[in-house]
Amino acid sequence: MPFGSNSALLGVALLGAALSICSSAALPNDLYVVCNANVILQPSEVRDVFIGEKSFAGTVRLTPADNLSAQTAFLGRVVKVTADKYTSLWTKKSFRDGANPPPVKLSDAEALAYIRQTPGACSYLQSPPPVGVTVVGKF
Amino acid sequence: MRHIVRTSARYCLLTLGLIAAAAISASPGHASADTDQSKALAQLQRKLDQSLEAIQALTERVHELEAKQAGNVQAPSAAAQLPAVNPIVSDRARLEATEQKLEQLEKANASRNADDTGLPLHGFADVGVGTRNPINPGLKGFNVGNLDFYMTPRLGDRTRALFELNTEVGSDGAVGVDLERAQIGYQFSDAATVWMGRYHTPYGYLNTALHHGAWINNSLRRPKFLQFEDNGGVVPAHTVGLWITGSRHVGSGRVLYDVYAGNSQRIVNGALDMQNAGSSHENLIAGGRYAYQFNGGDIDGLTLGVHAFSARIAETVSANATRVLSYGGFAVYDTDQWENVAEIYLFDNENLHGGGAHRSTAGFAQLGYRATWGVPYARYERAALSQSDYYFAALEGGSSYHRVALGVRFDVDLKAALKLELANTRLTDRNRDQYGEGLVQYAIRF
Repeated sequence: MPFGSNSALLGVALLGAALSICSSAALPNDLYVVCNANVILQPSEVRDVFIGEKSFAGTVRLTPADNLSAQTAFLGRVVKVTADKYTSLWTKKSFRDGANPPPVKLSDAEALAYIRQTPGACSYLQSPPPVGVTVVGKF
Repeated sequence: MRHIVRTSARYCLLTLGLIAAAAISASPGHASADTDQSKALAQLQRKLDQSLEAIQALTERVHELEAKQAGNVQAPSAAAQLPAVNPIVSDRARLEATEQKLEQLEKANASRNADDTGLPLHGFADVGVGTRNPINPGLKGFNVGNLDFYMTPRLGDRTRALFELNTEVGSDGAVGVDLERAQIGYQFSDAATVWMGRYHTPYGYLNTALHHGAWINNSLRRPKFLQFEDNGGVVPAHTVGLWITGSRHVGSGRVLYDVYAGNSQRIVNGALDMQNAGSSHENLIAGGRYAYQFNGGDIDGLTLGVHAFSARIAETVSANATRVLSYGGFAVYDTDQWENVAEIYLFDNENLHGGGAHRSTAGFAQLGYRATWGVPYARYERAALSQSDYYFAALEGGSSYHRVALGVRFDVDLKAALKLELANTRLTDRNRDQYGEGLVQYAIRF
């Protein structure tokens, strides 16, 4: 009964797809901090950039952006804070210094497009970055 | 089978469409947007990516099965094949079109700057109840605290601006609105930003780090002698003038500096006035702050600093003027577990109309521990202010006192905090008195 077996296979496949949709994504293994091609930055400076303590790389004004799809892993590994503390930190920073927190991009594709389009832009990706951008480091 | 394929594809497309619509309709553009919404959007985005992969895998699998089935049955006529092939091709085309639209949306969102999302408005508010009003001990019961708005417009690469409006209730119940900060600046580099306008006078730690906005403070209120000008403070909390500030990495830490000059304050009706509109007597206040912040190692989070200012401050009614010279130091230990702050101020004042020189001191030490359930804190304050000094004698809050306070802060959620404080205050010269207080404050940010 080809139709019956196909239906069963399709059902299993659909169930698998549904489960994959409903399950939360695992934390990425590697994170690549990537900047616009005009930015030169050291890996040790990344944390300062994302908490607003470093705004310039040479004469280039840095414009970091968070990548929501990898933010939890990035904050834990690189900035060394939780998401709640990061939000609190920026609330205080903004109130004290008039600085604005990084804009948020939703995915690697969005973050990469932002990096390519914006001079001084920096963000982080889960997938290996393509050519044409500055790779600051892998975390 | 084809019916199932078409139906499955429709469901997939429907799911895809719903997820895409939700993602599109709720796209955020700012890190300070609601965290829950951002997390939900991230989840939607992940699900969308996973859906696309699942649909792609399903489509390939169905193709494979179709091919097998076609090999087992007699090939239908060409006319009969058309309707079987076209829906798959059509579904694929629609999938590809959807993917293209998603890609376009991602690029559009990537290029969107915060500039076109309007001006973000943030703020703080608090209300409370107590056996005494935390600012005016002659009152008791429920009280409305501050409603504070601040704006940080994005203006360009180097131009910066910060505006803060605060509404507060006076002891007479009247609501007053103050432009607490109105500063526009230019950032030359990380080491130098120049601000002009009205700003928080940079001395100690508290005045710039924990100013208005009760939610930001772990403690329920500021030390009495460091209150705002219209709440009895004896140190100018605001200055209208020019301010240069910056930081630079030195060793494993950072050097922080501030240099400023502005209109010298005056005393009007027992309170310091920072002369927003301009100086009436051409005097300046000038001062600075210098600190070192340790990063890394056993003392990560420790900041040590010194501060000083000098001003010629006149009292409008008596016309007495005082050369105020204030200097001192501060220490902060701010980590994931601790928020410990200590500040000391010495005043070497000279009354310019025959009152002589006078020395006064004031200071506080506060220990706070960030436990998982809340932030308990203890604070001791002491001000020994010479009452023969025209400056302190003219200020309503210029009396000497001791205060011991024990409190705790509970974070109700990410944007709300409930604070309790028990305090005992002893006034030691102008009005000898002693009183205890039990205070509750509910503070939010938005």
